[in-house]
Amino acid sequence: MTQFQTEQPSAQHTGTEPVIVARDVEKWYDNGFHVLKGVTMTVYKGEVLVVMGPSGSGKSTFIRTFNALEPYQKGSIEVDGITISHDLKNIEAIRREVGMVFQQFNLFPHLTVLQNVTLAPIWVRRWPKSKAQEVAMQLLERVGILEQAHKFPGQLSGGQQQRVAIARSLAMQPKVMLFDEPTSALDPEMVREVLDVMRGLADSGMTMVCVTHEVGFAREVADRVVLMDGGYLVEENTPQEFFSNPREDRTQKFLSQIL
Amino acid sequence: MTTVTPDSFSSAPPEVVGLGPVAWAKKNLFSDWFNSLLTVIIVGIFSWGAIRLTSWALTTAQWQVIPNNFGLFMTGTFPSGLYPRIWALLAIVCGLAGLSWGVLGRNVSTLFSRSVLIGLGLVCAFIVLFPPTRPSSLKLLPMVALVAIAAAAGRQAGRKFPSIGKWVSLAWFLSYFAALWLIGGGLGLTPVSTNDWGGLVLTLFTAVSGIALCFPLGLLLALGRRSALPVVRWLSTAYIELVRGVPLVALLFMGQVMIPLFLPIGSRPDRILRAIIALALFSAAYLAENVRAGLQAVPRGQNEAAMSLGLNTPTTLGLIVLPQALKIAIPAIVGQFISLFQDTTLLSIVGLAELLGIGKSILANPSYLGRYAEVYLFLAVIYWLFCYAMSLGSRKIEEKLNTSH
Repeated sequence: MTQFQTEQPSAQHTGTEPVIVARDVEKWYDNGFHVLKGVTMTVYKGEVLVVMGPSGSGKSTFIRTFNALEPYQKGSIEVDGITISHDLKNIEAIRREVGMVFQQFNLFPHLTVLQNVTLAPIWVRRWPKSKAQEVAMQLLERVGILEQAHKFPGQLSGGQQQRVAIARSLAMQPKVMLFDEPTSALDPEMVREVLDVMRGLADSGMTMVCVTHEVGFAREVADRVVLMDGGYLVEENTPQEFFSNPREDRTQKFLSQIL
Repeated sequence: MTTVTPDSFSSAPPEVVGLGPVAWAKKNLFSDWFNSLLTVIIVGIFSWGAIRLTSWALTTAQWQVIPNNFGLFMTGTFPSGLYPRIWALLAIVCGLAGLSWGVLGRNVSTLFSRSVLIGLGLVCAFIVLFPPTRPSSLKLLPMVALVAIAAAAGRQAGRKFPSIGKWVSLAWFLSYFAALWLIGGGLGLTPVSTNDWGGLVLTLFTAVSGIALCFPLGLLLALGRRSALPVVRWLSTAYIELVRGVPLVALLFMGQVMIPLFLPIGSRPDRILRAIIALALFSAAYLAENVRAGLQAVPRGQNEAAMSLGLNTPTTLGLIVLPQALKIAIPAIVGQFISLFQDTTLLSIVGLAELLGIGKSILANPSYLGRYAEVYLFLAVIYWLFCYAMSLGSRKIEEKLNTSH
């Protein structure tokens, strides 16, 4: 696996500078369902935070509030020092700094792999096409998709598509990357190639928040693991403690179901 | 149980054994007594119909009405001295059509494949041999040649300058105004009053204008109906539901009577313009629903992915959502265009001499009394040709935009 080179000094995992600060975040769906019931969490620069929890626990919804894909009604979320408000300019500014990788990849099927990766740098960062393409090709090489640059997403396997999606997010040079169950829609033999890319990204010092069920990944790569259930943040712990000696009964029960 | 040798893992698909014609017929047409009976009955009915039609067309039918009025059919009461202008227009359209074909097919190994050559040959043979339209239609032969030459040129140009497509689109856009000028005159050409526009030229002109107007309007209405702004949404919905609840004929009559009421006194827009506006307003409501269906078929994740990259709403719409939505909606949109093309026949009701209207007035001439079958069959073939060309075009575009494999 090639190493990701970024400007941050690497191997400095648990920094002290907060990138995302969520305070007492509460959210109701339009149908009145209370999905987040006051969640407080801080993500520090350079750390890898894994969010686990049963389905319906609100974990995906929670990380989707970090880039305003989901609005919230109470509490506050600060990303890179900017508080998320309803102002469109403010939201766009935050989204430029927060990358997101989805369960269903969500690549743009009518654009080639290269166009997928260069789109946002060209239209949002206003980079000249040549620069955007140069950076895109470097990123595609790092995720191992260089040969497929001129194919369309529909011609790639799921694992390849997810790696392109990661490259597409990285092209915007985000300060933090959100992963919303990035391997859940993949065939088992393709999970590894995507996790390898994420591992390399973590090694390069990228700040990452990952919603995932991959215990191995959480154990080896995470700096902190949190459990969400029923709209609450149940436990926050180091991976060693979380998996071998959890504080909460709820965590114990959850682990006994997935391990 | 036999062991599998590596040789049996050949990468080629298994050979498909074709059925001989007799075996094919036995399998598909005469598999049991019921199917055999159906085959005999259906073939019987069809061949009886075909024989009757052919014998009528060759013996009883009096085709003279078509060549005698060919100019009328094509251009209505357009002054015959100015026909060269119509020929010039046809040459422009043929040239551009050939050019587009060449540019689009620049990466195909043989532009003039066997089936294309056979098609061109058939068109030429039809022009030369088909009695109804001779001799006026002989002048169409150079036009066919022009299409072929332009296609060859377009292919060369397209290979040399890959970005030529944009310029061809621009040329099509400009050709509309060239058409307006050549038909209507002015700017150095003898003006022709719109009362003298007619026939196929008027049909095509109204159809093209209507399509060009209704597409952007329909797009805006579709977006409006999905807008987050309540007033925009309500207005768009109200417009769509109102117009879809009114028959086109009523709208055309209202267009003739009511559009002038909304305009300042003294400015009486032309009858043809009023008809085009009514046609476009009508089709836009239906088109909006087609586009909306396409918009709804684009997964939500596409929007979310674009937004999470920091793209703003107009960029997301223009670069991500609309291209996919329109691609999905192409069959429905082209269907709407075909409808609009056929709806131009209703203009004869409000007194415009488009193709069908001209047909009717020719039939009213005592010398051609009772030539209904000949005239209407001829008109049907013309309408079918244009509609089929549109659906063929839509299929080609769909193939070109397919990126799934």
